[in-house]
Amino acid sequence: MSDRRIGVYICHCGGNISDYVNVDKVKEAVQDEPGVVVAKTSMFTCSDAGQQDIIRDIKEQNLDGLVVASCSPKLHLHTFRDVAKRAGLNPYQYTQVNIREQCSWTHTDDHEGATEKAIRLVRAGINRTNLTEPLHSIKINTVPKVLIIGAGIAGLRAAIGLNDIGIAVYLAEKEQEPGGWVAGFGKMYPHGRNGKEIINQLVNEVKKRDSITLFTQAEVIDKTGSVGDFRVKIRVRDQEEIALHVGAIITATGFNAYKPHEDEYGYGMDGVVTLAEFKKLLDKSEGKIIRQGKEIKNVVYVYCVGSRQGDEAEDGNRYCSRYCCNAAVHSSIQALEKNPQVHQYHLFRDMRTYGKFELLLNDALKRGSIFLKFDENEPPQITKGANGTLNVTVKDLLTFGEEVEIEADLVVLATGMVPKENQKLVDILKLPVGRDRFFNEIHPKLRPVETVVDGVYICGTCQGPKNSAESVASALAAVSQSAAILKKGYVELEPLIAMVNREACTWCGECETACPYTAISKEQVQGKEVAKIHEALCKGCGGCIPICPNHALDLKGYTDGQMKAMIDGLLKEKF
Amino acid sequence: MTVANPNFVEEVKKSNEFNASACMNCGVCSAVCPMGIELLPRKLFRYVLLGFKDKVLENKETIYSCLLCRMCEANCPAKVHIAENVRLLRYYLNKNVFRV
Repeated sequence: MSDRRIGVYICHCGGNISDYVNVDKVKEAVQDEPGVVVAKTSMFTCSDAGQQDIIRDIKEQNLDGLVVASCSPKLHLHTFRDVAKRAGLNPYQYTQVNIREQCSWTHTDDHEGATEKAIRLVRAGINRTNLTEPLHSIKINTVPKVLIIGAGIAGLRAAIGLNDIGIAVYLAEKEQEPGGWVAGFGKMYPHGRNGKEIINQLVNEVKKRDSITLFTQAEVIDKTGSVGDFRVKIRVRDQEEIALHVGAIITATGFNAYKPHEDEYGYGMDGVVTLAEFKKLLDKSEGKIIRQGKEIKNVVYVYCVGSRQGDEAEDGNRYCSRYCCNAAVHSSIQALEKNPQVHQYHLFRDMRTYGKFELLLNDALKRGSIFLKFDENEPPQITKGANGTLNVTVKDLLTFGEEVEIEADLVVLATGMVPKENQKLVDILKLPVGRDRFFNEIHPKLRPVETVVDGVYICGTCQGPKNSAESVASALAAVSQSAAILKKGYVELEPLIAMVNREACTWCGECETACPYTAISKEQVQGKEVAKIHEALCKGCGGCIPICPNHALDLKGYTDGQMKAMIDGLLKEKF
Repeated sequence: MTVANPNFVEEVKKSNEFNASACMNCGVCSAVCPMGIELLPRKLFRYVLLGFKDKVLENKETIYSCLLCRMCEANCPAKVHIAENVRLLRYYLNKNVFRV
């Protein structure tokens, strides 16, 4: 029998549960289970009154375990852990049993069956709670310094942002000069300022500040430690190795431009250029646009090159590169400003000049740019024409599929963004890479710059296509998220992690290989080699536990014993 | 296959301001046309913008069968001056084709 004192609360959820599950029957069925001293039903357990009732019971009945059978733990796990805490009970002595999403809502057509299932689930929860032990969150002191990898517009802005809140920054740039792509841009929308100017302003600010250290020609070669307390090694100019001690790492490594393959829309032919190449040509043109001694009078743009590729392209880029419609339309307006006589044809699949960029499109239309829509299955064909011109043929859906032939001096391919090749960095930081090969955040809406690696953040275009304004916005999001843990001075981690039974462990290394977070290493304890769990790195995924041939590993909060007890609870009655 | 001619629209424009760039191909003009004109204004204007001179000349009859009632214009969500554009095209044809 159990010497535990457990309180069990079964929630009606105002009918969400009790319309289908007979909650009184559930209460009756479990109130005599070993360890249970209080069993109640409640209309809304999460309400103030419901919470107060639990707190009173914990105090008066001296409870040492708590089970609430209600909704999904996603909704109220922390609510009831907090209830336990406020009553003086260790929050990890609490078990939430889901009898709503996984029972009443799924079995609305079978009240009896739902009630029986609820009884089994609650009993399993009670059995687990019988074996709980008080656990304490892991507290780690944080180092108030951040390493930012990549000194493009995102990295530079993040460095200044962090420094503004009093955090020291190491900024590591792979290239010889900071600034990234934006440093190479001319006039930018909407303020018309030069990209180079914007970067210079940021770089000057960075250089002014004593507590930002900028390394160029630098690469990260090693990382150990964990959130709040990383040890990172960088190699500068292929020789000097520098050891850094930081609390967080922000990755702002940017993108590569898509390079069309030979013959893709005539690429490789004289007069077929990428958007980046065209922008360079525009920036150095005064008045007429002259290329190789020849005036450019007719320009054809082809959109979505290297983006939104269909299934036929193996490892194709399925995503929209987001910036190219705006950039190409902007370039066409720039071209008209240089030379109002230039004729421009835009061959697009769909125009995506979202938000305020719509004004750019209107402007381009007003100034006489012509837009032709092609079907992705019938892309424009580009061939050599007479007198060094190019012949572009396209079926224009806006003229009801009419075939149009355009004589062009220049064909501009609006090329998209592709992820940078960064395998070394991915290996060192354990960065999560998505199917599109960009880095992945934890939650696209609610945690957009955090990664599954605690203390490692991503921002800018290493995460996916963004324009410079969006890159800066995400950089500043990474600033606030990293500063949030560093300014507090410590981080608290869930104690639901793996533990080692040193007597049983014979160190075979299987667990070290199985661990995706490098949280397991070897240690010597009283002359014996055993596994060591790095508390700050372990995520409690449980991947190491079934691997161990000696059953020397267990997961706190979800021990094998608890799991077996839960199974016994589920199967107490015969089917 | 028709060759795009950037100069044609300039020719038409010379007479006055021809403007159909804002057209988004929605088709409201065709739906409300009391004449049920076969050649849709949006198609005709695309011909002009793309410089399909021959196609425009082929459709002289249609261009003159418009009543200039402005039903299309009143309903155009992109505020294209449809009737005005038709009038400009007639002016162009009068001058360059019929020599009047």
